[in-house]
Amino acid sequence: MATPDDILVARGVEAGYGKKQILFGVDFAVAKSEVVALLGANGSGKSTALNTISGFVRPLAGSIQFEGAEIAGKPPHQIFRRGVIQVSQARDLFMDMSVEDNLRLGAWVRGGQVADLLDGVFQSFPRLAERRQQVVRLMSGGEQQMVAIGRALMGNPKILLLDEPSGGLAPIFVNEIAAIIKALKKTGIAMMIIEQNIKLALSVADRFLILREGRVSQHHDVRSGAVNEEEIVRSIYL
Amino acid sequence: MLAVLPQLIVSGIATGMLYALIALSVTVGYRATTVVNFGHGDLVMAGAYATFVFVGSGLPFAPALILALASLFLFGVLTQRVFMQPIINGPHLSLAMMALAIGYAVRGGARLEWGSEVVILGRPYDQGAFMVGSVVLTMDDLVISGFVVALLLTLAIVFHITPIGRLIQAVFQSQRGAALVGLNVHAFHGMMWGAGAALGAAGGVLLGLLVPLSPDLGVYTLIRGFAAMTLGGFGSPFGAVVGGIVLGMMEKLLGFYVSTVFIDITAYLVTILVLLIRPSGLFGQRATVRI
Repeated sequence: MATPDDILVARGVEAGYGKKQILFGVDFAVAKSEVVALLGANGSGKSTALNTISGFVRPLAGSIQFEGAEIAGKPPHQIFRRGVIQVSQARDLFMDMSVEDNLRLGAWVRGGQVADLLDGVFQSFPRLAERRQQVVRLMSGGEQQMVAIGRALMGNPKILLLDEPSGGLAPIFVNEIAAIIKALKKTGIAMMIIEQNIKLALSVADRFLILREGRVSQHHDVRSGAVNEEEIVRSIYL
Repeated sequence: MLAVLPQLIVSGIATGMLYALIALSVTVGYRATTVVNFGHGDLVMAGAYATFVFVGSGLPFAPALILALASLFLFGVLTQRVFMQPIINGPHLSLAMMALAIGYAVRGGARLEWGSEVVILGRPYDQGAFMVGSVVLTMDDLVISGFVVALLLTLAIVFHITPIGRLIQAVFQSQRGAALVGLNVHAFHGMMWGAGAALGAAGGVLLGLLVPLSPDLGVYTLIRGFAAMTLGGFGSPFGAVVGGIVLGMMEKLLGFYVSTVFIDITAYLVTILVLLIRPSGLFGQRATVRI
């Protein structure tokens, strides 16, 4: 299944919390500049899969390779250093700091030209440029999501792992976040995205997988032809 | 009666500075890891003894002090990594028991070497006193207050101005967020536990200038440190400092105007009353405390 273009390759990944196993031998791959959506009902193991890639959950078995190097079971900071950067579902921002401080901290470890990175993020998110000194706690959910994505971009990711970027947002922000993800895709950054909003997911993804009870139940290439949205919803929830 | 008031306040502030430092040292470890180190008092004691040992080996006081603080820093880092980190997600009680056990082990080590005998650290300066108006200022008061103020100012600068301070605040605000920006949070916890131990050790050395050292020194300090933290607001560094100074003054004032008994029991009374009347203390926020 893996091709030479794949930068992230997972094979037979099993993971869980304590005695409760969530993933049962999951395989997937993400190629350079590719966007892969991970779909599935609540509890199907989507977030666990993402957290296992980024090191927050230790796999029980299996292999996860990034650019040819094994990263399974490595701590989050080591995986981050390789350019695998996650935007978590809870966003986990530094709520009592300003937008700019949050963004700058995103560049702390991977370094790079912080001023250039900051300019880049402010260009992608003009709304954040206007509020750069604002304390994050006082911002709306949509704006906070932008800060979370912007903070991840400050780390100059090779692959971005997005966990429910539109989760809990007002419709206007859902559209804005969708536009941002599409713009990011154009820059050629690889992404793995978990999304409940199937329409959004399909509008940005090149491929998608459906997780069901911790196993990959389906695999589709969106580029190969029309996708029946209703059928996907049915295969996720029924 | 009122004529002694300025003297009591000044002496109270000097003692309170010491409590402030100890309360702050517990707060540093707590803020970073959300775990209260119940064995911290014994690290305070160990700092004083380490300085005593290094001075005894022929080193001048200042290098001995620096070496003692560095040793306690390392000890703090190691104990956090080896004993606390493996059980960090376990029940709160396990963490409290582990911290307590480490403290008792340190105390046991001191007893093994020095028994219940007291030793004198000795001052590296001449003990003198100055009159400022009607108030007597001792060299001890000046040295302790000067040292603590300098340390607090340095910490305030590090915390508020440097990038390191921003990083520390980031971990305080969201550990997961800090991990998401690539910080090694476990190593950070170890460093902060070490920093707390070193600050506590500094408090122990200052205390050792005033009283003879005994392996039980830590009990005296930890109760006052906790009382100061509770009064100032658990987890607030500023609160710890203010709480320490207020507690120092209260001990002196109640001890003089009401009964000398209060010198020993003010810390307990303050803890009880604050928890009953204003559990968040003067500057604290309601927070989840991992004991």
